[in-house]
Amino acid sequence: MSDSIHSEIQSSSSIQIRPSRGLLDLELGAVWRYRELLYFLVLREIKVRYRQAVLGVAWAVIQPLFAVVVFTVIFGHFAKFPSDGVPYAVFAFAATLPWAYFAEATQRSANGLVTDASLVSKVYFPRLILPLAMVAAPLVDFLCAFVVFLGVLAWYGISPTLNLVFLPVLLFIAMMLALAIGLLLAPINVRFRDVRHTLPFIIQIWMYASPIVYPLSMVPEQWRGLYSLNPMVGVIEGFRWVLLGTEHPDFVSMAISMVIIAAALFAGLVYFKKHERAFADII
Amino acid sequence: MSDQAAIVVKGLGKRYRLGLARGRHDTMIDLIAARTRDLFRGSKEREEANGQEHFWALRDANFTINRGENVGIIGLNGAGKSTLLKMLSRITYPTEGSAEINGRLGALLEVGTGFHPELTGRENIFLYGAILGMSKAEIVRKFDSIVEFAEIPKFIDTPVKRYSSGMYVRLAFSVAAHLDPEILLLDEVLAVGDLPFQRKCMEFAKSLQAKDATILFVSHNMFSIKNMCERVIYLKKGQIQYDGSVEEGIARYEKDGQLGKLSWGRKDAPENWPIFLERFELLDEQGAERAVFDFGERVRMRLHFEVRESLRNPNVIVLFERSDGVACCNFSSVADGLSLDGVSGGTVAVELLTPPLKLVSELYSIQVIVRENGYQDVLCAQMASSFHVRHELYDMHFGVFHESGTWARGKGQAVPVVKERLYEAQ
Repeated sequence: MSDSIHSEIQSSSSIQIRPSRGLLDLELGAVWRYRELLYFLVLREIKVRYRQAVLGVAWAVIQPLFAVVVFTVIFGHFAKFPSDGVPYAVFAFAATLPWAYFAEATQRSANGLVTDASLVSKVYFPRLILPLAMVAAPLVDFLCAFVVFLGVLAWYGISPTLNLVFLPVLLFIAMMLALAIGLLLAPINVRFRDVRHTLPFIIQIWMYASPIVYPLSMVPEQWRGLYSLNPMVGVIEGFRWVLLGTEHPDFVSMAISMVIIAAALFAGLVYFKKHERAFADII
Repeated sequence: MSDQAAIVVKGLGKRYRLGLARGRHDTMIDLIAARTRDLFRGSKEREEANGQEHFWALRDANFTINRGENVGIIGLNGAGKSTLLKMLSRITYPTEGSAEINGRLGALLEVGTGFHPELTGRENIFLYGAILGMSKAEIVRKFDSIVEFAEIPKFIDTPVKRYSSGMYVRLAFSVAAHLDPEILLLDEVLAVGDLPFQRKCMEFAKSLQAKDATILFVSHNMFSIKNMCERVIYLKKGQIQYDGSVEEGIARYEKDGQLGKLSWGRKDAPENWPIFLERFELLDEQGAERAVFDFGERVRMRLHFEVRESLRNPNVIVLFERSDGVACCNFSSVADGLSLDGVSGGTVAVELLTPPLKLVSELYSIQVIVRENGYQDVLCAQMASSFHVRHELYDMHFGVFHESGTWARGKGQAVPVVKERLYEAQ
């Protein structure tokens, strides 16, 4: 063992332990110092997820692909939903990409503390690391599905538009929304495991409240303003816009929903930090 | 910085809601039901109900630990030891008071928390290292040393779920050992793994001591406490009962533990046991009270039982356990031919006189166990007392006991023969 310890994580030479702390002290510095733990937790999530599965990482693709096939058969073929002038399969796939990521990230960040309960009750680290890792890890699944999507796109002879540069922005919006919800629900989940059982329903309902299997144009005109307050509407329409060259989303509604996300994120951070200190006691 | 105390604890206290431990509201329906009940209760009733829901796991703890000090924290289960360590390691937060920690802190409350069974040894070293607060660069630098210390180079790329429990613990501890902290909080973690590894852990702890690290060490094992610490904090029911020399602290702890039930014995409350050790006297051969015996002395013990049921051939067993947890010998009334068949109701006293003790110089605890019908069900299992054996030479390095053998030396080429009567069966 070497004695040459210089700038290690916990070397913050003095730690003060007190009962209370300011409400707005988010201790983001501590999260930064522990960024390598974040990295290793994300790595763990990615590695563990498909290990010892015969099809391995292929599952990351099979799941959304299967959903797209079901949507295409039921809503595209039988129900004959319109699809903004592009083949229904790509229409649904382009929307399933961000939605699958969002659904996964939301559920995992809301459940992350409970899944790693032993860690929370036996080791100190900034608790924020866990939900952060949980929204970051499904990005890999997204990337895999995205590659397959590009293949499908090529098959149909469609090429993405130059607006593709906005895709990371859209993905980032979905990520922040998932994180905000995760931060708000995780402390409740620590206390009441009901969250774990309720969340899948909510996500399911939310999916049908978003223009995934149907186009935005099917939503009656007078409701569209209210409908577009759902932040995922902008993200999904945005995906179709950059990938398929359909109408661009309503930027005003998007701006509004970004404000909503920012507010929810801030509220989530404060709420999470407020309850964080009791996690180990009640988990 | 160097003359600063490592840990300063002022008025530290932690209050838990009992409701969290017992009958906690795990679902929202439960909570709503409880709140609704509260509505219909009078305000006084409610206060009563809530007042009982709180208890202090630790209260009013004050102490300062200087740099390089090694302090043992002892106490019965539920005395607040783990709560204290959890607060100092920032896993949970105090209700009142404060603590200040100066120096790089490493806390090991459980070895291997955060290991993932599906990941390989190599992957887990990095993950667990990061969880304990090491940087990636630091882990890379120490990687070979970690693997070597854990003695698992061949299995480093095998998922740890295929490891034996010993390998698992070795790897986990090895990572933790390389944390190289200035202040180390240890909760009973050295008590895992096989004997050679435990020895290694002790050596590691000593090496930290040599580096002038500050160690705060929770243990039920008085042997490790005596070995590692020069100061003891004895906690009882959430209060610091004693803070000072190791001998005095352990003596008080053991006195308080007398006649207490042994954790493995019976699950029900001692009030319901068919037989209960009410009083225990530890005497020398002449009948005078003693707690320290010279090697070779005989020990006289008087056991006063309260018998509550008619017992079928009860077997009174007196066990000597060395402070490192080695069961050294036991005396059994059935094996030694004392019949207690048919005792029922009231009190019964039993006396036991041991042969001359050949146990090595150490601290021993005396446990009393009563079994039904020879070696059947445990009727009663209690900690009776403890004693020291004194000898200037024979200590644990000589094993469990020492008895002289007979030797002979050969003359020239001749085979030596010990001239003694053959041992005859008695």
